[in-house]
Amino acid sequence: MQTINKIISANEKKTEVLTAQSGNIDVVVYENAFYELYLLQNGQDLNIKIHLLGKNAKCDLKAVYLSTTNSNNTLKFDVEHSIQETYSQQIIKGVVSGYGKGVFEGIIRMPHGSQKCEGNQSHKALLLSENASVECVPELEIYADDVKCSHGSTVGNLDKQQLFYLNSRGIEEKTAKKMLIKAFLFSEMPDVFEGKIDEWMLLNE
Amino acid sequence: MALLEIRNLNAGVGEKQILKDFSFDIEPGKVYAIMGPNGSGKSTLSNVIAGNPAYQVSGGQMFFKGKDLLSLKPDERANEGIFLGFQYPVEIDGVSYAQFLKQALTSKQKYLGEKPLDAVGYIKRLKVRAQALGVSDEMLKRSVNVGFSGGEKKRMETLQMAFLEPDFCILDEMDSGLDVDALKTVADGVNLMRSENRSFLLITHYERLLDLIEPDVIYIMVDGHIVDKGDKSLARKLEEKGYADYK
Repeated sequence: MQTINKIISANEKKTEVLTAQSGNIDVVVYENAFYELYLLQNGQDLNIKIHLLGKNAKCDLKAVYLSTTNSNNTLKFDVEHSIQETYSQQIIKGVVSGYGKGVFEGIIRMPHGSQKCEGNQSHKALLLSENASVECVPELEIYADDVKCSHGSTVGNLDKQQLFYLNSRGIEEKTAKKMLIKAFLFSEMPDVFEGKIDEWMLLNE
Repeated sequence: MALLEIRNLNAGVGEKQILKDFSFDIEPGKVYAIMGPNGSGKSTLSNVIAGNPAYQVSGGQMFFKGKDLLSLKPDERANEGIFLGFQYPVEIDGVSYAQFLKQALTSKQKYLGEKPLDAVGYIKRLKVRAQALGVSDEMLKRSVNVGFSGGEKKRMETLQMAFLEPDFCILDEMDSGLDVDALKTVADGVNLMRSENRSFLLITHYERLLDLIEPDVIYIMVDGHIVDKGDKSLARKLEEKGYADYK
């Protein structure tokens, strides 16, 4: 499998917007550097490994995956806080329709010596059909005693009461569902992928 | 012709039968109130008229402007002119009020085959009504009902009603959880909308609301059907004696 290597040099701030990636991405973040990633997946397998190598290195990963019957996603995030005072955040949102499946594996590593680090991970998935499924494997590997680390995962369906509320104001089911899916996706991240998501929803009505 | 006719309606949730051979007519231009003890079926009635799929209809008929309501989906019923003001308005994080109202109006105009309002026309229509109800621009930018107080939620329900201009407005316990001032704002909003073509159905436990919005007809509902009908004096009688006589 192809591996893309990226280096974020000391004091550099880099924001990347990537779509439909597969293979491996390996990112090294040095002192005072910041790596921000917006990722949209719709049927690929991707591993991302982040090494926070310098003090005050930060990464902020915001990912959306869309899975349908013929396009399953496997997304793996592996964030290693190699040194003290490094910070990471991961927000992952998945929407799965038809017979689709989404897999998310997320690991946060805080080895000996990674004191005062902070790592947070949140994964939320929305299942649009009875046959859609999601597998979430969060893992925290912590060997330091003065760190902050959290992870959370939720899986749910479209809220029937919200759907009826929109319908009762004259908004037809298809449009109402789209509004709720977008609200789910964009409540914690900017809508950088709005156009692509509109396109996906049109193709998967 | 009646605006809404309900004939021998049977409906409930799951196995539980709540409306039992329920019948009544709503004439255009009139204000009706339904009063009744808890569990008598008032909220079920309003949800069934609006088409909430959580409730099942097992028999009977409903006609709105002569159209068979049971064959229409909830959004089609709304676009035909039915509005349900919710007892507990639903919160939708990530959808702003401005976006929500715009979509609702666009859907209605599309359904009716009307020319859509342009941006200026839309903002004008919204702002005039928002100002009359004391709704700020800031509230319109916020997510639907998220972080709104009970009074603010009911005021926003009234704004939606004023904005969409329905022909038949069901207000399900509009007065619950409101202080006197908030209740007056909402009641003023309703009174402003009264017209010879528009009808209202107020579902309430208290006479207080009916002092502010004077109904033409009061129905008493017990155990899934209408047991009495009268004018304003009926509400006063209930306030004193309760529903004991009907049980």
